[in-house]
Formats: sequence, C-alpha cells, structure tokens
Amino acid sequence: MQSKLSDIELIEQTLAGDQSAYADLVKRHQRFVFTLAMRFAKTREDAEEIAQDCFIKAYRSLATFQRQSKFSTWLYSIVYTTAMTALRKKRVDTDSIDDENTFIQIENQTSGYDVNNVENKSRSYYLNQAIAQLLPDDATIITLFYNGEQSLEEIGQTMGMDPNTVKVKLFRARQRLKEKLERNLKGEVKELI
Amino acid sequence: MNSIEEKLWNYIDGSCTPEDERAIALLIEQDEVYRKKYNELVLLNAEFSAMELDEPPMAFTYNVMETIRAEHASKPLKAAIDQRIIKGIGLFFVFTISIILIVALSSIHWSAIFAGGSHTSSKLVLPDLRKLFTGPVMQGFLFIDVVLGLYMFDTYLRKKASAKANNSVQTSGQQKQQ
Repeated sequence: MQSKLSDIELIEQTLAGDQSAYADLVKRHQRFVFTLAMRFAKTREDAEEIAQDCFIKAYRSLATFQRQSKFSTWLYSIVYTTAMTALRKKRVDTDSIDDENTFIQIENQTSGYDVNNVENKSRSYYLNQAIAQLLPDDATIITLFYNGEQSLEEIGQTMGMDPNTVKVKLFRARQRLKEKLERNLKGEVKELI
Repeated sequence: MNSIEEKLWNYIDGSCTPEDERAIALLIEQDEVYRKKYNELVLLNAEFSAMELDEPPMAFTYNVMETIRAEHASKPLKAAIDQRIIKGIGLFFVFTISIILIVALSSIHWSAIFAGGSHTSSKLVLPDLRKLFTGPVMQGFLFIDVVLGLYMFDTYLRKKASAKANNSVQTSGQQKQQ
C-alpha cells in the first residue's frame, strides 16, 4: 500500500534518514519513469536499467532538489538526461529510428499477425507500437503530455526547451503518431479513430 | 499561417487566445471541414489520453532500494570521513603556519633593514621548543597518541563488521527474491 503523504513530505522524511519513505516515492513514480525509459530503450531490460539508474541518481541528489518545481518534473528531467546519455552510449542512431528501413523492419516483425485478428488487439497495443516507432523526443513529449499530465512549461523544463518549441514539437509528434497509426493499422485506423 | 489541424489542436489543448477560441468554435459550428476534423482529433486525443503505462518488474522498488543500501554499506572509509575533520586538519595547518609567520615577522629588525641596507642580517628568534619536550610531556603526548590510535582502530573494525553483516543480509535477501 502506497503512502498518502505528499512527495515533499516523503522527500523530507528521506532526507531525515528514513529510507522507507524513498521506497514509497519509488513505488509512486516507477510506472511512469519506466514508461518514459521504454521510449528510449529497445528492451524492457534496458528500460529497467535506465529507470533504476534514475531513481538512484535522484536519491543521491535529493538534497539539491530546490522544490521550486514539482518533484515529478525534476525526476523526469533526470530520466530524460539519463536516457539520452544511455542512448548515446549504446550508439543508437536516433535518426535511423524514424527512417523507412526501420519502419519496414518493425512492420515485418508484426506482420505475422493475422489481419482479421486486428480487432482482438487492444487499442493501447497499437498505440504503443506506433509510439515505439517515433523519435525518442517525439515519444517523450507525447508521453509527458498525456501520461505524465505535464504542462507545456513543465515539459520545457524537463527537456530543456522553450514552451513554444514544445508546443510545435507536440503538434508534429501528434501528426507523426497519427501517421504511424494509420500506416500500422492501414484500414483499421478508421475504426480506431 | 496555422493549418486547420494546428488551430484545432490548440483549441483542444486550450492553449489559444480567447479570441481565437471563439473564432475556432464558430468555425467548428459552421464549417463542415472543421467540424469533421475536430471530431476526428477529439477522438484521437481521447485515445492518446487513455494510453496505458508500462508496468515495471515486480521487484523494481526492491532492487532500487537494495542498490541504495549496498551503496551506503560499501562506501569507502575515506569517503565516509566527516568533512569537519578534514576542515579541522586544514585549520590546524593554517593556524600553525600563521603563528610561525607572525613569530618570524615580529623577530625581524625592520629599522635595521631599512637603515643599513640589504647586507644587514637579522637573526630569527624562536622560542626554545626543546624545553617543552621534557620527559613527562613526551610521555603524555605518546599516551594520548596510543589511545587515539586504539580508538580509531576499534571504530574501523566495528564499521568493517557492520558492513559484512549488511552484505550477508543483502545476499540472503537476494537469494530469497530469486
């Protein structure tokens, strides 16, 4: 059972030496942090490593958290930086994720599914599949906006961008996501939307 | 110029000005193209909002907390030293050097230097420290050193023992988890 205390109260308890308070913070934010890490990593194992690394980094620098922004915004900025670093370390060419070849590769991986079976697949499956084909920045903006319920200003803080840039990027990311969905589902997207 | 879609997304997000909001609302009401596109985007927005989060492994929190605990337990002694001790040692040296400098400067015959030129030698007069190191003083000094040494050795052994105990608890915990 998760604590009903606020993030700030849990942080204060953690700084006073209560490690179980930090465990509550981890439990509270782990799903979103893991989802965000999944936007950058290719496998669940890599995402788990990134997410774990983020929580450890956050613990180490908890005393430096200024409390001028929400804890979640601060934590997500750690996730974004850590994931980007991990991506660079693994020498993944981010441009190639969006190119035609990668798309065909991903498409072929899923082409084993029967077209008639499409209806049986959950909508979130197709959405997640389409998000996985986006550039990490696009996927992050979409995830932060819809799953993280972050404002454009907060997303700007997390990603180190101007809110207006975020607004433009969000618009483009949504367009690309819609295109991917349409391509993935071909005719079925009409039922989805 | 904004595209229809961009205008409509701003309207849906509530990020346009009140004037734009009124204008777009009117367009949706009157223009068939706008209305159709708006309905399509509203549905798409609802789909995006209903996106599910990925579930991390069951032992995720446990693994994070164990890593943090292990990091604390295996903290090297030099990193665990209190910063105040280091500052204290630094202050001791600064204080000692200052005293020596003050004694040295105060023992210089400045008037002789300015009057007689550079050839005048001035003798540094230091207090006779040999008087301080008599038998009982040295014995007392060595005794305190030995006590301090034993105390530090005891603290080191205690820390080592507690780190060992923590590690064994973690190992058994991980085995249980597996």
